[in-house]
Amino acid sequence: MSLPSGTRNYTYAQDMAILRTRTHWVLFFGFLVLLFTAPLYLGNYWLGVANLIGITLIAATGLNILTGYCGQLSIGHAGFIAVGAYTSAILTNRLELPFLVGLICAGLTAGFIGLIFGIPSVRVKGFYLAITTIAAQFIIIWVINHWSALTGGFVGIKVPYASIGSFVFKSEASQFYLIITITALCIFFAKNLARTKVGRAFIAVRDNDLAAQVMGINLFYYKLLAFFIGCFMAGIAGSLLAHWIGFMNAEQFSLTESILYIGMIIIGGLGTTLGPILGVVFIRLLQQILTVEFVPFLERTITALPSGFATGVTPMLFGLVIVLFLVLEPRGLAHRWALLKSAYRLWPFSY
Amino acid sequence: MKHKRPIIVAGAILLAVMLAALPFVSACAPKEKTLKIGITTPSTGAAAEKGSPMGHGNLDAIEYINTELGGVAGYPVEAVWLDNGYDAAKVVTNVKKFMDDGCLLFATSSSKMMSATMEIANRAEFPGLVCFNAPVLHRPPQHIYGQMPDYGDDWAAFAAYYMENIWKGPGKPRMALHLLNNTTGYGALDAAKASAERLGIELLLPAAEHTPTTTSEIDSLTRIKTLNPDILYISSTPAPTAVIIKNAFELGLYPGVTIGLGHAGITKALVDIAGADIVEGVYGVFPTVNWGDDVPGMAKAVEYCRKLHPKDEGNLDYITSWAQSMIMAEILRLTVENVGYDVLAKGDVESWRAIETYGIQRLNYDVGGLHGPASYTPGDNRLSKSVRIFQIQSGEINPVTDWVEAPLVKYEEFEWFGK
Repeated sequence: MSLPSGTRNYTYAQDMAILRTRTHWVLFFGFLVLLFTAPLYLGNYWLGVANLIGITLIAATGLNILTGYCGQLSIGHAGFIAVGAYTSAILTNRLELPFLVGLICAGLTAGFIGLIFGIPSVRVKGFYLAITTIAAQFIIIWVINHWSALTGGFVGIKVPYASIGSFVFKSEASQFYLIITITALCIFFAKNLARTKVGRAFIAVRDNDLAAQVMGINLFYYKLLAFFIGCFMAGIAGSLLAHWIGFMNAEQFSLTESILYIGMIIIGGLGTTLGPILGVVFIRLLQQILTVEFVPFLERTITALPSGFATGVTPMLFGLVIVLFLVLEPRGLAHRWALLKSAYRLWPFSY
Repeated sequence: MKHKRPIIVAGAILLAVMLAALPFVSACAPKEKTLKIGITTPSTGAAAEKGSPMGHGNLDAIEYINTELGGVAGYPVEAVWLDNGYDAAKVVTNVKKFMDDGCLLFATSSSKMMSATMEIANRAEFPGLVCFNAPVLHRPPQHIYGQMPDYGDDWAAFAAYYMENIWKGPGKPRMALHLLNNTTGYGALDAAKASAERLGIELLLPAAEHTPTTTSEIDSLTRIKTLNPDILYISSTPAPTAVIIKNAFELGLYPGVTIGLGHAGITKALVDIAGADIVEGVYGVFPTVNWGDDVPGMAKAVEYCRKLHPKDEGNLDYITSWAQSMIMAEILRLTVENVGYDVLAKGDVESWRAIETYGIQRLNYDVGGLHGPASYTPGDNRLSKSVRIFQIQSGEINPVTDWVEAPLVKYEEFEWFGK
């Protein structure tokens, strides 16, 4: 990573540090203060949006490890999130186990199911692998709908509030702290994973799996490890989603959701830790602004619009923004951010 | 070319600033004493063909209430309407916004959207009204109320009608079920499992299941035919229902068995898709009147539809959501009369409790005859409990009964019902 002019690393510890300069630390603490005081200045609605962003971010970070770092395309991510959500729901509702047990088991179960569907990745890749992960999406949802004695089937299943010990996360603000803390841990894990031997092996597999194998990287092990980690995070996200919403049925985990997750990491920037953060925040906020502000504003103010036009604008505009993004910045928001930082560091010189 | 990029960047920044400024534009609008309600419809997404006219019906009724009736008890009704795109994540944040904005109650059209958000509303004691209703939404009763009877009630009403008026044979009639693979279909199965034995009907289980996009059900119907049923009950939407009846016709299963349909399936679209000859004699259950029927509430709905959304004319979903807004207005009127405006002005849990106690639970409203009367019975959160049995005769969907009250089924007392 490039450093600002005049900044040097003199030890390995400095070289490995995520936050290297005083400015980094100040900005980081400023961000943390802003984040953790959010319940003081945000209403329940915006805290709800923040919670949704946090949960989506965990799942997208997992998908980014699988697809962005390791190059294994998965179009069944919503299915793996469903596995986590239902595992947690069943353990905390039917077996009345503590939330933390549900949370961990949700990750492990989703990771295990991910391993099963990841096995074909050893023999197939690209579009062929995408089709096998779509199969995961359909099979998982079918099982959830038809194993009704356990999952509630089409009726669905209630999920209690998350709780740790005697503390119950009832308010939106307390749920925000829970979700944001777990999100931060997941991002920290992903950031560090990318810098380890495992992360470098993932990147080698993504860039050229044959060359990686020749270098001694065990493709079977690392591809399945990527599936496990990606799906483990999806399971954690699913568990948090279940306890946040309080009621699950399989219709909440559609193929459209899975595709949206792919869109988020592409718009944010594949293969970077920052990418999913920017992509998720961008997509979720765009959805909210279009739905909550833009369409009702059009309906209220431009009454001459033909029937249904205002609502039709939402998917059109949503699609248009994504297309423009892919055309103008195919390397994602993370790349744009990197350019901005470089320009700031070199300013006033262009090159 | 050199100057294009700054223009694009400037344009993008301008668009972002405009979008970000919208909340402040709304916030700067002059405040007046209003009664806020939240309405969310799937006006885009997979159910837009139903959600879009329903959103129009909701908002047109509010327009009528404010312009012609002077609002409710002198206060204009302010509808916070949001499209949910038939997306669970969106509807969750929509309902949180309703609560944050001080809405007094909220309404959804689809059972799927309500199931995604009902627990949030129940936890907060925020009263909700759902148009298309499923047992899971109101059993056990909490803070969600059904505007109309649920998909299980359709089955119960049809089964009771069949036993009283059609079945002449000895012993128990044998009923096969063909269900859409969601709450629309499985709501009927819940009712069948709960009441078939009491009504003296033998169920041929497992039920056949189909998807909304099915193109052939020859296999499943061949299996059903071997079971020699007397009744085939279909709980689904019009297109798959048409496929099933056409296939049953081709297999010689129908005519022969009696076919009954839930309210999501028996519409004009079914006759158009399947053909009048093929669906001749099919029975169905529906909870509202037909478009243009001579009932007091119809004239204004038709007038506003022609004036504001002429493309929705003839659409029964428009009528149901018009009725939904009228019911919400009546709930507000009762609450204002009983507790005054000040309690409702807060838009908090105290206001929501007042809405339930003094509005919803004192409701006794005929909805202008658009559907069965809406009233509250303790322990039963279905506000309208009435359906009518229809039969398709020469391409027309004609009522063969007056309003039939669907009995309450306490699903939660069955161990197989969702915990």
